Amino acid sequence: MRHLEQHSPPDEGAERLVRFADALGLEVAPEDLAALSEQLRLLEALERDELQDYPPILKLDADWHD
Amino acid sequence: MTDSLDLVNLSISEAAAALRKGEATSVALTEATLARIDQTEPTLQAYATIPASRALAAAAQADRELAAGRDRGPLHGIPIGVKDNCCTKGILTEVGSKVLAGFAPDYDATVVEKLYAAGAIIIGKTRCHEFSCGGSEPPTRTPWDLKRFPGGSSIGSGVALAARSAFGAIGTDTGGSIRIPASIENLVGMKATFGRVSAFGVVPLAWSLDHVGPLTRRARDNAFMLGAIAGHDPRDANSARVNVPDFTAGIDDGVRGLRLGIEREYFLYPGVTEAVRAATEAVISQLAELGAEIIEVSLPELAHTRETLITIRMVESASYHRELIREKGHLYSPGTRATLEIGQAVLGTQYVAALRARERFRAAIQALFRRENLAALVSPTIPVPAPLLSDVRKPRDDMDTGETPTDGFVHHVYPANLSGQPALSAPAGFTPEGLPIGYQLTGRPFDEATLYRIAYAYEQTQDWHERQPPLVYD
Repeated sequence: MRHLEQHSPPDEGAERLVRFADALGLEVAPEDLAALSEQLRLLEALERDELQDYPPILKLDADWHD
Repeated sequence: MTDSLDLVNLSISEAAAALRKGEATSVALTEATLARIDQTEPTLQAYATIPASRALAAAAQADRELAAGRDRGPLHGIPIGVKDNCCTKGILTEVGSKVLAGFAPDYDATVVEKLYAAGAIIIGKTRCHEFSCGGSEPPTRTPWDLKRFPGGSSIGSGVALAARSAFGAIGTDTGGSIRIPASIENLVGMKATFGRVSAFGVVPLAWSLDHVGPLTRRARDNAFMLGAIAGHDPRDANSARVNVPDFTAGIDDGVRGLRLGIEREYFLYPGVTEAVRAATEAVISQLAELGAEIIEVSLPELAHTRETLITIRMVESASYHRELIREKGHLYSPGTRATLEIGQAVLGTQYVAALRARERFRAAIQALFRRENLAALVSPTIPVPAPLLSDVRKPRDDMDTGETPTDGFVHHVYPANLSGQPALSAPAGFTPEGLPIGYQLTGRPFDEATLYRIAYAYEQTQDWHERQPPLVYD
């Protein structure tokens, strides 16, 4: 679904996170928000390129080799 | 009777045999352990709470039962430490936080119930990082080097075993918190398959990533403990409906013919120190010599495990702690509070993306295991030995990427939390400075027995597990 993703550059993502944190009244250091923003940026890139066929279901079974 | 120091050095298997031969009693084991605690605790601080009189009373009961012919199995009468995030009826459960100061639950976690049913003696509640996350540092120190990081978050469980102030211990592992202390403290630590051990009554960090498991000094002992605590529990929605085998049944079958995968690009990346790399290669060579087939494999999907796990962990932690922070936010240490509430700023779509990324990784690693018919992946548990406490979150001098030791820890241990596969850390040797090194086995879901079989086979070829830390507490 590449065409649906208008991806934010990293600094914009960090600013958005800071705004959210402020709005929620979170007491979080800017460097922690920046670190999280970077992780989310990587995740969003993965989502854009690789996750089309993966719904959010975790399923384990004992018959791994069957 | 064996003397006190000899008693605390026994493995669980040896202590169990001594009990049945009349060479020791549970009371003697418990008294020796309490004496060791008195000796080591002023320096090491592995325990948050030590219910000594309860432990001695339980030990006396265990002795009476054995004398009467009621044998509850290999943990009967054995002193065991339990991480302080596991609820214990009538015993403080503070999870390293002022938020829960004075909290003595009115029920036991399932893992504690099962330990009692197996006849184990709860010798104490072992210290952990506040709410099992790394926002503040407990006072616990490792006997291998007081200036170095003792592992976490099951920090007291690892230290108590290394110091011989417990015969076994329970830890929990959301992002390596059993395997990291196991590696740093020269122990065997098992993060069993997700759902294998009930998490009911364990204060959560992230529901879909939390695992409960045993730490011991020997592989067979670990298998005994997992056998005692595993099993379906209707009170835990994530608990798996699978049979619990005798994890020791095939433990001495050797590794001949087992196919073991080695993934080098991720698990032996440049951040792995020379000592850890050499130890890991030596383990692999030894397993090959014992008859295992070593298969070089590739798994590019490992590259995204960090951001995937962090996103899930942060959102689930924020969800669990939201009300508690609203009521008692001032009682959290600032670092812990920040770590636990930052997930509120993550979008729902980002959380779902992380769940989808987890599924992608799980599918990829399952396909790899099937395609190559692997029994396990072999890797270092963590890429570096215990760093100095002052360096844990500083960029490493030997790398120009800004990577910290903590970054290296999560790099290696997160994948198995994401996939839910069993993963075990066991002793692989020592650095030239005498610091323990661990290797990690990642296996097929619900096939912990094969990991024990591999670990036991390797354990028979060397004596790493017998080495003791320096006597820093004298």
